[in-house]
Amino acid sequence: MKIVNYIEFLRRNMKGLVRVLIVYLIALVIFDVTLSRHDAHYMIDKIYAFWTIFGIVGCFILIKVAKGIAHLFLGKDEDFYG
Amino acid sequence: MDRWIHPAIFFFIGALILPFFRGKAKKFVILLIPALSIIDVALMMEGVYGSYSFLNANIVFGRVDRLSLVFAWVFTIMGFLGAIYALHVEEDGHHMAAYFYIGASLGAIFAGDYLTLFVFWEIMAFSSVFLVWYRKEQKSIAAGYRYLLVHVFGGLLFFTGMMLYYYKTGSMVFDKILPANAGVAEYLILAGFALNAAVIPLHAWLPDAYPEATVAGAVFMCAFTTKTAVYVLARGFPGFEILAIMGTAMTVYGVFYAVIENDMRRVLAYHIVSQVGYMVAGVGIGTEMALNGACAHAFAHILYKALLFMGAGSVLYMVGTAKLSKLGGLYKYMPLTMIFYVVGAISISGFPLFSGFVSKSMIVAAAHHEGRLWLMGLMNLAGIGTFLSVGLKVTYFAFFGKESAVQPKEPPKNMLWSMGLTSALCFIIGVYPNMLYVLLPFPVEYQPYNLHHLSEMLQILSFTGLVFFLLVKKLAPEDKINLDMDIFYRAGAWVFMKIDEKVIAVLDSLWGEAYRAVGLSLLFKNARLSYGFDRKVIDGVVDGSATAVKMVGFVIRKLQTGRVQAYIGLALFMFFLIVWILLVRI
Repeated sequence: MKIVNYIEFLRRNMKGLVRVLIVYLIALVIFDVTLSRHDAHYMIDKIYAFWTIFGIVGCFILIKVAKGIAHLFLGKDEDFYG
Repeated sequence: MDRWIHPAIFFFIGALILPFFRGKAKKFVILLIPALSIIDVALMMEGVYGSYSFLNANIVFGRVDRLSLVFAWVFTIMGFLGAIYALHVEEDGHHMAAYFYIGASLGAIFAGDYLTLFVFWEIMAFSSVFLVWYRKEQKSIAAGYRYLLVHVFGGLLFFTGMMLYYYKTGSMVFDKILPANAGVAEYLILAGFALNAAVIPLHAWLPDAYPEATVAGAVFMCAFTTKTAVYVLARGFPGFEILAIMGTAMTVYGVFYAVIENDMRRVLAYHIVSQVGYMVAGVGIGTEMALNGACAHAFAHILYKALLFMGAGSVLYMVGTAKLSKLGGLYKYMPLTMIFYVVGAISISGFPLFSGFVSKSMIVAAAHHEGRLWLMGLMNLAGIGTFLSVGLKVTYFAFFGKESAVQPKEPPKNMLWSMGLTSALCFIIGVYPNMLYVLLPFPVEYQPYNLHHLSEMLQILSFTGLVFFLLVKKLAPEDKINLDMDIFYRAGAWVFMKIDEKVIAVLDSLWGEAYRAVGLSLLFKNARLSYGFDRKVIDGVVDGSATAVKMVGFVIRKLQTGRVQAYIGLALFMFFLIVWILLVRI
């Protein structure tokens, strides 16, 4: 299967892939900074790269809080209900 | 077309004739029924059809307008895709349950009054539960009963509200309710609808039952129940502030559980709570744009959620488990399934060129437009969680990640075809959003492909990806289940059983003893007294009535000869007599 070979090629060249993705992330931020903000009504529309910060902080908090609460009391053994 | 054929009829008749077919003919019929219903919907004109008077109420089977049509489109299309996916299923009963379920959903969305809606509402619950029970495992049977009981409870809320509403207004017409006029009756109806829409805290039936359903059954279930509820909310309760708040809470609540769940299908089930939250919030915001968004999202969601359940179902079907802690490295063995699953995952996450991007953003943009920035922010947070759990976590731990011992094959061809077609639809809607927008109830001015929206979504998604790969070890799936609201009724049932065993049973035996000792002797005395009263007083008063009854019995005995043909003859005679009376009267 060609798809499998392609995926394995990417997996072998992890370092290159990571570099490309980092360049892509930086490009995204630069792209957002260049966008016009003339008709921005609200605060969040005026801040540069607002959704980048939102994405990083939001994802981090979501993982930490969800896993934290799961370990605290939500998670039970699979035969908890019998 | 002047004549209107209710699309549910195809499914109901189909369900009844299906057991008479075998082999290829049966497969043909399974696909023909939903195909006919799609053609039926395509030929449908707006209007009110099938209106009857019944018990002082006006029954309307066919209210066809833009709002019901957009749901009819996606329900029939989904019926067809689901039928392809379920083609290999042997049990007739499974197909019949699915058909009754789809038919009832179509009945519910075309219903113009509460009574019709209620009947179809209940058929939906009682047919869909079989899709859980056909899994035939102890857990599924128990989950099915819980599912049914919760839905009966929801139905009762709805029914009580409906009766109070009738008492208050004298009308059974199901139409838009203004928030200012809403009282107890309206809020009870709303609660009944909200239970089916899995609005927290009435949502626990969904992640409880759907992961225990059959592989094909879950694909049907994820499409119809919650989206019928979204339809009735959009029809009856647009602009209810409580829906905007609860809907947004649902979006976050769903992804929160999706992040920590282990079972693939349970992750997806929690995700329904989250996704339906967007639609409920859209209904709650209640502007034309938000309602359009809710309908568009329901349409897109049915397709990609079904696609995700098809993918997860394929894994379950081929591997025997859908637990992420036991999966890994499946891309080598099931590459097509993986691609289709990923198409579903990036559609639900809202990647540009896929359907979620053009539907979900309408609701988020409506919130932004109304200045509801908190709602918008929380919805985007849920968007992060969506990509994190369904897009990255499940894909990574099932199809990549550590190698697992399993080496499954691709699922049967019909499943692959179904997934392929659904993937194509997700892509087509993403690229040509106007195909979907022309179906929406209000004119659409929104343009999803603008630079700000592109930049916003790509930033959110890409940086979520970055954090995922930094914290991937934290997210490793664990062999755990997570407590949710269902603990209340599960624990409630346990407490009830204990009370029954310990208290009621003891009281019962005590009462039995007391009754034997005191009650019975009293009863005997009482009986003697009343017998005497009957013989001496009553017969004296209504003199001769007992004798008359004896005489009539003698005549009837003559008629009851015990010969079957005589009975049939008599029955036919009575039948013709009734028909004759009816005809003459009319």
